Amino acid sequence: MTTTIPARPPFDPELAAALAVINESLPPTLTAEMIPSLRQGMAEQRATDEELSLGGAFVVGERLVPGPAGAPEISLVIARPAAAETAVGVIYHIHGGGMFLGHNRGHELVEQLGWARELELAVASVDYRLAPEHPHPAPVEDCYAGLTWVVENATELGIDPDRVIITGSSAGGGLAASTALLARDRGGPALAGQMLLSPMLDDRNDTPSAHQMAGVGICDQASNELGWTSLLGDARGGADVSPYAAAARATDLSGLPPAFLDVGSAETFRDEAVTYAARLWQAGGQAELHVWPGGFHGFDLLASYAVLSQAAKAQRLPWLRRVLGS
Amino acid sequence: MKDLVGRLSALDPDAGAAVKVIAYFDQLVDGRAGLEAIVRGAAVLSGCVVRLVDDERHVRVRVGPEGHAPDDGFDPPEPEWLNAPLVPGGPPVLWLERPGPAGPVDAMVLERAVSAARGVLDRTRGRASGDPALMEVVLDASAEEATRTRAARRLGLPGTARVLALDGGAARIEATGAVPGRGRVGVGPMVPVLDLPASWEAARTALRFAADGTEQDPGARVVHADELGGLAVLAAAVAPGTKPVADVLALERARSAAPWVLGTLVTFVSSPSLRTAATALVVHHSTLQDRIAHAEQLLGWPVRDPPGRLRLQLALALRRLHLHT
Repeated sequence: MTTTIPARPPFDPELAAALAVINESLPPTLTAEMIPSLRQGMAEQRATDEELSLGGAFVVGERLVPGPAGAPEISLVIARPAAAETAVGVIYHIHGGGMFLGHNRGHELVEQLGWARELELAVASVDYRLAPEHPHPAPVEDCYAGLTWVVENATELGIDPDRVIITGSSAGGGLAASTALLARDRGGPALAGQMLLSPMLDDRNDTPSAHQMAGVGICDQASNELGWTSLLGDARGGADVSPYAAAARATDLSGLPPAFLDVGSAETFRDEAVTYAARLWQAGGQAELHVWPGGFHGFDLLASYAVLSQAAKAQRLPWLRRVLGS
Repeated sequence: MKDLVGRLSALDPDAGAAVKVIAYFDQLVDGRAGLEAIVRGAAVLSGCVVRLVDDERHVRVRVGPEGHAPDDGFDPPEPEWLNAPLVPGGPPVLWLERPGPAGPVDAMVLERAVSAARGVLDRTRGRASGDPALMEVVLDASAEEATRTRAARRLGLPGTARVLALDGGAARIEATGAVPGRGRVGVGPMVPVLDLPASWEAARTALRFAADGTEQDPGARVVHADELGGLAVLAAAVAPGTKPVADVLALERARSAAPWVLGTLVTFVSSPSLRTAATALVVHHSTLQDRIAHAEQLLGWPVRDPPGRLRLQLALALRRLHLHT
C-alpha cells in the first residue's frame, strides 16, 4: 500500500518547535478512549477565583442559573471589574474542547479577563453540559440559557445589556456562532459582536484543510470527527443537521452581529472559518478575518509566547474596542 | 489546555525533558527560524530571561519566559549567570539570566540554543572570520587544490560560496547571499569553493567602487562584482600615484565650490529620470533642474544628454577609484 502525503502549508518554524513538545502529551488525533484521561487532566487545571481576579481587578463569583426547560442548572463564573461604579459591558465566553472536554474555569479565561480589564467589562463563562453524555442540543441550549439569564439579570449584575460580546475558541467558537444564530432566530439578546477563534463550525468535516492536515498538528480530521460524532451521533454529516449544532449549516447568515474570526493556515478549521466569514459578507454582514500562516489549531493558547501567537492576540482587543465603541 | 510554558516548567529535569529540549531546537533549525525564535525558545524552556549578545556581529536579543522583550535593557551580565560561548574557548554570547549551578535542562538548553544560534549567525551575518590560516589557504590560488578543498571543508563551507571584501581589507566567506549591514562591501561572485581566490580578487575590485555614503564620498555602499561589467577594467588604470584625469579634477573643484554637488550628481546619474532623482533627494524637480544646470556650469560639460551622462558616470567612478586605491 502506498501512502501519499498531501501538500500542506508548513507550520511556522517556532510553532513547529512547540508542536514537537506539545504533541508528546496532546497527539494530533484524539480517540474516544482518551476522553476520560483528557477530562481528568483538564479538571486539574481549574483556575481559582483568586487567579481569575487578576490581583483584585475583578470580583469573581460563581452562580447557578436556570438551564433550558427541564434541564439542570448551569454554572456561570462571573467576574466584574472591582472598580466599576456603573453598568459595564460583558464578554460571554464559551470554552473549547471539541464538545466533549473542558470547563468554565480554563486558564484561557485569563485572556478574556485581560481585555475586560482594559475595556472595563465583565466576563461570564458558562459551564455547558458536554457530549457525548449530553448530545445536541444540550450544549448549545445551555449556552443560550446562560446568555439569556445574564441579559435578563443585567440590572442586578451591573451589566449593560446593549454591550454583550459572545466569544469562544474551537468548539466554543462553534457554540458561540450557533448561540448567535439562536439569539437572532428567537428574538433573544442583541449581541454587539461575536468573536469566533479557530471555530468548529462544520460537522461535514470534509474541507480541503480538514483533509490536508489529517494526522498532523492539533485537532486533526479524526479528532474533529470524534467531536461531531459525540455531539450528533449518526446524524453527523447527514442531511438534517441543525445550524444550532453546526453553524456552517445555516442557510441564512444575515442579521448577525459583527464577527471576528481567526484561524491558522495549517489547521483543520481553516477553510470552514474562511467560508463562514465570506458568507457573512455575502449576506451583508460585517466580519474581520485573520488567517495566521503556519498556525496549528489553538497555537495562540498552546504556544502563547510564540511571535505568531503574540501577533494573533494583538488583533483582538482593537476589534473589541471598535465594536463596543470604547 | 496548558500553555507550553506551563508544560515545560512542570517538567522534571529527567531524560524526557532533555529529549523535548533537543526536539524543540532541532525543529527550529529545520525550519530555519531566526535568532529571536531561538532566544525565545531558550527563555521559555528555561523559564528565565535569556540574552544573546555578539558584539562582533552587532547582535543583541533579549527575551523573557513569556516571549516578550523585557522592559529593562541590557545591563552588564552578572558573572554568576549561566552562559555559553559561541565557539569553544570564546567569550560568552548566550546567558540564562540566573545564577548556577545549571541543572541538566539548563545545560541542554544552553548547548542547543547556542548551536542553533551559531548556524543562524553564520547563515545571516556571514561566517565569522573563521580560522585565519584556513581562510588564507582557501583564498590562495597558488595553494594545491586538495589542500584548499580540505580547508574549505574544515571551515564548514558548502559547495559554492563567495567572498566579501570588507572595508579595511578583511575577507569574509559566505554562502547564502547575506551582506553585512554596515560599512563598504565588495561582493565577489558565487563560485565553486575552488574558485574562491577569483571571487576574492573580484570582490576587492568591487570594493574600490563602493562608497562611504558620506557627503565627501556619496554612492552605493555595497557593490557586486557581477554588476560592474567593463567598469572593472577601469580599476586597473587607477593605482596609487596615478594622476587624475581632468574630469576628476573638475568634480573636485565643483565639490569645493558647492558641497551638495557630488551627492546630487550621484543620485541624478543613478536614477531613471529627473523626477525620481528629485523624489530621492526630496527636492522639487524644478529645483533639481536648476541645481543640475548649476553643476554643469561648475563641471564645464552638459550632463543631461547621453554622452555627457556617460562622461559624468566615468568621472564619478574614476574619482571613487582614486579615493579607494
